[in-house]
Amino acid sequence: MKELKVIENSVPDPSFLETVQKFPGGEKITDCIQCGVCGGSCPARAWMDYSPMQVIHMIRHGLKDKVLSTSTIWICASCYACTTRCPRGIDIPILMSNLKRLAMEEKVPAKIRTKPVFHRAFMEVIQKYGRMYEPELFLKVADKRDLLGLFHNASLGFRLMRKGKVGFKPPRVSESSEFLAVLRSRNNNRRDNE
Amino acid sequence: MNSGLPMADTAQIGVFICHCGGNISNTVDVTEVRDEVAKIDGVRVATTYEYVCSSPGQDLIKEAIKNEGVNRVVVASCSPRMHLETFRRAVEEAGLNPYQLEMANIREQCSWIHNDRLQATEKAADLVRGAVERARHLEPLEPEKMRVNPGVLVVGAGIAGITAALEIADKGYRVHLVDRSPSVGGHMAQLSKTFPTMDCSSCILAPKMVQVAHHPNIKIITLAEPISMSGSPGNYTVTFRKLPRYVDEAKCTACGECVKYCPSRVDSEFEAGLSQRKAIYIPFAQAVPNKYAIDGEHCLYLNKGVCRVCERFCRGKAINFDQKEETLELNVGSIILSTGYEQIDPKIYGNYSYGLHPDIVTNLQYERLMIQGIHRPSDGKPPKKVAFITCVGSRCSGDVGQEYCCKIGCMNAIKEAVLLDKSIPGANPWIFYTDVRAHGKGYEEFYADARNVHNVRFIRGRVAEVMPNGEKITVRAEDTLLGMHVEEEFDLVVLQAALVSPRGLKDIAQIFNVPIGHDGFLLERHHKLRPVDTSRDGIYACGCVLGPKDVRETTLEAMATASKVATFVGKGEILSSPEVARVDSTKCDGCGVCIAICPTKAIEKTDRGVRVNPISCIGCGLCVPQCPTGALDLNHCTEAQLLAQIRGVSSGGTAPKIIAFLERETPYASVDLAGQTRLSYAPNIEIIPVPSVGRIGVKHLLQAFASGADGVALVEGDDGCLQGNALREYVAKLKKAVAPYGIGPSRIMSTSTTIPQYEKLLNFFEMFNKNVTKAGKIPDEMRQKLGKTIEEVST
Amino acid sequence: MKYAYFPGCSVHHSTAKEYETSCLAVSKILGIELEEIPGWNCCGSIDAVYAYDPTASLALAGRNLLLAEKISSNIVTLCSACFFTLSRARRMLQNDVSLREQVQKMYNVPVSGEGVKVRHFLDILVNDVGYSEIAKHVKVPLRDLKVASYYGCLIVRPPGLGSFDDPEHPKSLEQMVVNLGAQSIDLPDKTRCCGASLFITHEEAMVEMTRRILGNAKAAGANCIVTVCPLCQFNLDAKQTDVEAHVGSKFGIPVLFSTQLMGLAFGLSPRELGLNKNFVPLHSMLLNAGEQVVEVVVAHK
Repeated sequence: MKELKVIENSVPDPSFLETVQKFPGGEKITDCIQCGVCGGSCPARAWMDYSPMQVIHMIRHGLKDKVLSTSTIWICASCYACTTRCPRGIDIPILMSNLKRLAMEEKVPAKIRTKPVFHRAFMEVIQKYGRMYEPELFLKVADKRDLLGLFHNASLGFRLMRKGKVGFKPPRVSESSEFLAVLRSRNNNRRDNE
Repeated sequence: MNSGLPMADTAQIGVFICHCGGNISNTVDVTEVRDEVAKIDGVRVATTYEYVCSSPGQDLIKEAIKNEGVNRVVVASCSPRMHLETFRRAVEEAGLNPYQLEMANIREQCSWIHNDRLQATEKAADLVRGAVERARHLEPLEPEKMRVNPGVLVVGAGIAGITAALEIADKGYRVHLVDRSPSVGGHMAQLSKTFPTMDCSSCILAPKMVQVAHHPNIKIITLAEPISMSGSPGNYTVTFRKLPRYVDEAKCTACGECVKYCPSRVDSEFEAGLSQRKAIYIPFAQAVPNKYAIDGEHCLYLNKGVCRVCERFCRGKAINFDQKEETLELNVGSIILSTGYEQIDPKIYGNYSYGLHPDIVTNLQYERLMIQGIHRPSDGKPPKKVAFITCVGSRCSGDVGQEYCCKIGCMNAIKEAVLLDKSIPGANPWIFYTDVRAHGKGYEEFYADARNVHNVRFIRGRVAEVMPNGEKITVRAEDTLLGMHVEEEFDLVVLQAALVSPRGLKDIAQIFNVPIGHDGFLLERHHKLRPVDTSRDGIYACGCVLGPKDVRETTLEAMATASKVATFVGKGEILSSPEVARVDSTKCDGCGVCIAICPTKAIEKTDRGVRVNPISCIGCGLCVPQCPTGALDLNHCTEAQLLAQIRGVSSGGTAPKIIAFLERETPYASVDLAGQTRLSYAPNIEIIPVPSVGRIGVKHLLQAFASGADGVALVEGDDGCLQGNALREYVAKLKKAVAPYGIGPSRIMSTSTTIPQYEKLLNFFEMFNKNVTKAGKIPDEMRQKLGKTIEEVST
Repeated sequence: MKYAYFPGCSVHHSTAKEYETSCLAVSKILGIELEEIPGWNCCGSIDAVYAYDPTASLALAGRNLLLAEKISSNIVTLCSACFFTLSRARRMLQNDVSLREQVQKMYNVPVSGEGVKVRHFLDILVNDVGYSEIAKHVKVPLRDLKVASYYGCLIVRPPGLGSFDDPEHPKSLEQMVVNLGAQSIDLPDKTRCCGASLFITHEEAMVEMTRRILGNAKAAGANCIVTVCPLCQFNLDAKQTDVEAHVGSKFGIPVLFSTQLMGLAFGLSPRELGLNKNFVPLHSMLLNAGEQVVEVVVAHK
């Protein structure tokens, strides 16, 4: 017997709103007038299952699971078109970043598989060298099962190297070794606890 | 004048304690209170009665005055906000001055909020004792009578000003109707039709414009702006700067020949910038006065000394370049401010691309296009597919845009869409909205018509982008109801631009000494109870100057204002309250500190010191504690009365005792409201009403502590004389001043409130009570010491 | 005035090397003194690091600001993403004392940002050097070149964070193009995001977002695009063939960095400007640029 569930598949979590309100970007969550100019402005909207406006609405309803399992939070490219036009000046990109962080901390499976992997990989490369080194990033992020994609990116990589754009050698910055050590130890602690 | 010892000695006080049919007597032991009070020196009569406000109850009071030598009356009953006038009338009928009556609030602020009989009785006894002590020092007072100038000034001649002027003039008063533009009419003259009736705007406005022109009681003054005001309620003098028209109104026939030859072009204000006018112009064909004017800023002759072509061709020889700017002075009894609104320039919203394509227009420009026969500004062709975009600049927090809803955007968009459908066959109007606010009479039905009859398409979503696309314009938005993207091309895009306060309103507010609200518009005296009054007696406001609204609401406000003005000037004289400040000239040294402090500029310097204007004085009392020589005092809240009441209230009861000085309009009303709701709070908090927290000085605080208080709370109204930082700074100064006497800062606390926030106020009391309890009872030796030092303190 | 130069990872040793090459070349001519911050690290990467560890991201940015302060009161970057990240981090660290203290404590880096202003290189060109000064150095007016200016997102948004041009209708780059003698083509959606790092994690989205820009440029009749961000340039240039494959039609529009275009106008050789590193062939574009450009190309062949 089919039942019309008012809010489907989620147990509302009243403390979720409070938590999010403490995030950067979350201070004005209750100020949103649900006008939708964010979704209207977003260049990545077509790949989001819910608009940013809807995500904010869900947060206000305490629908934590639903929010953290949207593709929205992972697709945001932080282009700031939304914030520029939001009549309440809500910093949506930084809010999305913080929601992603929460999702990763709570190990909620991401709608876009590559994303949490990407963040972790990026961090690892940075804490190793202090600067980005794409070849290593790619190797960490690449889906080993997608041979075609792997091949395609590898060939792009080689072309980049041949043109002298991407170096064969990773960057080494001796001046920041102390700082990097701190970065590494903090994240290794996190990794061990994961 | 001074309530010195002789008067206090001869005070024969009658105390009447009400049972209030059990409302009081069920909780407070009124007999015990009576017995307590009867012991006080000077109390001639002390009695209780079921309903003192009833006829026999009042007779008791009158009897006591007439036959038992009672010359001060204390009624301990409900809140004075209920029956002060009742009892004042009663004592006056018996031959006693009404200002020699005092009330003690032992219902809303005692029996209704406390459950413990013992505590409630003790508190009631304190409050009555305080009232008795105060009554001892009450003086007879007479209100001042002033003749009121029956003339009325209306500043701003749009529909609001015009309506108010006509109503007042019809009542028989003379009205000066002033506007800074060359014609009356305001923005309404620019509109095509009005919602929801679809009346032609000009058709309903023009007759009124003609009426004001011909009304024997109305004088129209155009091209004039106020520059200063002096005087007091009922007798204001307003000075105007009147710009020259350079056209003799008596000779101009409005034939229009001059316009043909004038070489200077200016963006037409009336056409909302869609086209241009000449430097010599008539704002619109139906202008009143129907005369031309020369725009001094853009006239070639007036700026560069060449031309004068208009003069050559003027048939009536009406051009007069010798006219000069004038100063005009008007004496009136009452003033109405009705200076209307402006709209934002949508250029500030880059994503709407206003100014980058001729077919992206504002709502006002659309009105003008409608009047001319709706067409695209770019090529003159009729637009079929038109986007109406609401909320352009409205509902925005932050630095850009306005926080408030413009109130008319939704209905205006619907009206404009319907007009399109009626004007153009095959029209395709789209409205992009966030919420459809169809709040007024007939509005929801009009909205239904738009959907059902006029094929208006509604998209729920704030528009993200408006972009020129060759001849067309692309609009992008998300239809949030479907979660689908909308990207459509339109022939014309109409932006409903936010309404804002008009240029120069800050100057107007300063000249007339009226406040401006958070939204930039004039602030009314009270949102519901006094919606067209300003904080100044005799000065009213109506129309959009108070905030965005439609024509119907504007005319309603204008009529309400007319009624208030008629009441104000109608009596021919005004009674001003005698509860005003007074100066003892033997003590005044003319230092002028009071002049700077006075919020209504009611004190002026004389050659013998200072003088208080009893009409302008609002009786706040801020000046009294600040006077270094003690020359100032306040009628009906004199130093003697206040100190006596403090002593009376503080001396009884159990510790820790808190005296709360509440400004007697707003916070006092708020606490009464809490009482009506039967909300409970601690019985050791006893309230003394004052005209303003600023009336309280160091002396009074010390008296309170010396007489038995352990804590003093100060509560001002949010609309009171001391607000925000001013209140905080004042209280900080007081705390600093009493600190050397051993009184810690935690024993004094202040807050401000509005009437409905009584729960917040009660929370404040609770918190303060905790602090004072923690600080503990003030030791007796300290109290004795304080008592001695009181005499030494002058402020 | 000396500027503390923050290259950023892409520009320094990765996909946008030619941006730095051409930047240094034109800076020499214009007398812009750039001193690379010694030991600089990743900017903090708006979101890549921030979403994983916000305090790490702020520490990374803060350390750069601190190192920059030693050189100059202006930190200049070529990359729009770095520009945004450093600006936002600076504001967050300045406004929130407890956050600043937290970051300082965790990473033992006395971060601040008060003493240094974050600026994009285009800002320097436009406001510190000025159009007329730039025009003076033009030896080879790019007369026949039809250039579409693509700003991308973070150089102009969000308003109030150090951006120096209008967020919806910026004009600085187009004005630059005109001052270099070229024709400026109006590009619709010139501030619409290209997809940036989505090229790694959600290529499908990035391809479509980039396609729109390339399509608009082609429809507007541009024969090249000029841009100011390494991420944008990469998506538009290196990934152009992927976009073409996705759409099924060719664009063939070269994508240059602003400094490369400028260098051409200043008479520098394509090699000096790293033009050999661009993916989409520049041959026809250079031919279209006018005789003098062709001469320059030929002379340096």
